[in-house]
Amino acid sequence: MKIQKHLNKLRWLVLSIVFAMLVMLPFVYVYQTFLQSHAYDLLSGSEKQLYDIMELLTSPFVGGDPENELDAIKGTTWSGSFFGFKVSDPLTVVAQSAASLSLYQPLFIAISIPAVLTLLFGRFYCGWICPATFLYELNTNIRLLLKHMGFKVSNQHMSHSLKYYVLFLGILLSAFYGTVFLASIYPPAIIGRELFYIIAFGSFGAGLVFFIITLLFDLFVARRGFCRYFCPGGALYSLLGRYRLLRIQRIVGECNDCAKCNAVCEFGLDPLRDGFGQECNNCTACISICPTDALEFKLQFRDNEPQGPGHLGKAYLRNSNNEIK
Amino acid sequence: MRRRNFIVSALGSTAAASIPFGVTQLLAPKVVQAAEGKYLLPPGALLNLDKFNAACIGCGVCGEVCPPKCIQFHKREGAKAAQTPYINPEEKACILCGKCMEVCPTQALTVTKRSKINMGIAQIDRSACYPWVDKGICGACVAICPLGTKAIGFKMWNQYRPIVKDACVGCGLCVEICPQPSLPIKIVERSNGTIAKHLI
Repeated sequence: MKIQKHLNKLRWLVLSIVFAMLVMLPFVYVYQTFLQSHAYDLLSGSEKQLYDIMELLTSPFVGGDPENELDAIKGTTWSGSFFGFKVSDPLTVVAQSAASLSLYQPLFIAISIPAVLTLLFGRFYCGWICPATFLYELNTNIRLLLKHMGFKVSNQHMSHSLKYYVLFLGILLSAFYGTVFLASIYPPAIIGRELFYIIAFGSFGAGLVFFIITLLFDLFVARRGFCRYFCPGGALYSLLGRYRLLRIQRIVGECNDCAKCNAVCEFGLDPLRDGFGQECNNCTACISICPTDALEFKLQFRDNEPQGPGHLGKAYLRNSNNEIK
Repeated sequence: MRRRNFIVSALGSTAAASIPFGVTQLLAPKVVQAAEGKYLLPPGALLNLDKFNAACIGCGVCGEVCPPKCIQFHKREGAKAAQTPYINPEEKACILCGKCMEVCPTQALTVTKRSKINMGIAQIDRSACYPWVDKGICGACVAICPLGTKAIGFKMWNQYRPIVKDACVGCGLCVEICPQPSLPIKIVERSNGTIAKHLI
């Protein structure tokens, strides 16, 4: 049993932690409000409960001054501040430079670490960190459940290059109208923002409506449709990760052509015929499902050429008269 | 024919790609100038509202670090201003701590010295303010001002009539504290001056 087969569980752990952080940070914001008012006795019953829970949860991480120390981690995956160091999504710099028609150096410093990681690991953000992926993959499970119950859920196939048009159009529209358009259609940015609005302000924004539309689109029109065909961030990461170092490859000698990898691939890629390409997000779902351990991570800048049928499969084992060799 | 197919598919893809942008435009309708006059931008903001909207990426971190929780966001309205922050001093005013400027990843909010901040200037309506119409003594705005007597003080001959001075940066704490229900003090653009003009 290879250790790579367990990476999918690690991925789910990371996704859950990121999502839990996005839920926790607005509660920390509310808790800090209570702390600053220095009036525990004046809080209502439910507010006191929240105060106590947050005090319990944050007490291992703070010293004597929780009011200011809790400012250490703020923000979302779209843009945040970690111990005074700002980290932003690479899409911010594209959208913001286009909208304001100027380059702002601190923003380039903020995106440098994610951008370098994307150059090395490709579209890993989509599979491993994106808080929308967490919800979209759960949504896929609901989709499978509906299918299991006998509902007809269609799976329309569109062109994967549609998302490059979305990115291009977003840049053009941002420059034309002078507003960061991509921020309002980019699901991880929407999730972080809306969780903050809902928990901290008790009201939701337009982005939540948009996100629910994308969920319904994924549920009834195309599996993971928004990520596959529309997401501008996915388009940018695909472009950055075209010549990535770390990629999943098929070992043709071990493969038995069972096609489970194709069935499980959220992005509709073709691991069975070595069709990974720039859009693979290294999510490792295919590695974990492969019954013969025929998929694994390799360090190389190019995908393998198509290697033909797997050596354990029927197509390889039969000769031209369709008899088993 | 291949060229024609290419043109058709490119146009079709562009049309399909514009769907999400159209949806967001429908979801964030423009509201008649709620942002103008009534709402303030956070301290250190770009002075031009269009430039501010273009620079802000809508991450919301300024609101998350704000100690008095005065920074709010255009949520379901505002068209171009969607997701950008604003301050409504009538509900909660800025205390000029500067945390939002430090944390902003873009040039939308840049670190500015306290005396150089320009959110507007306070303007007093002398036909409504209690001491100015001789309906008692007050001085709440003078007492709350974080910039002290450089920004707002009393008229020399009457101990309780407030007068705004040039050092006012427009934080809005005086608006938040004003006890008069019609709010005779408000924050306006600097060019409008510190005394409300009445046309009648």
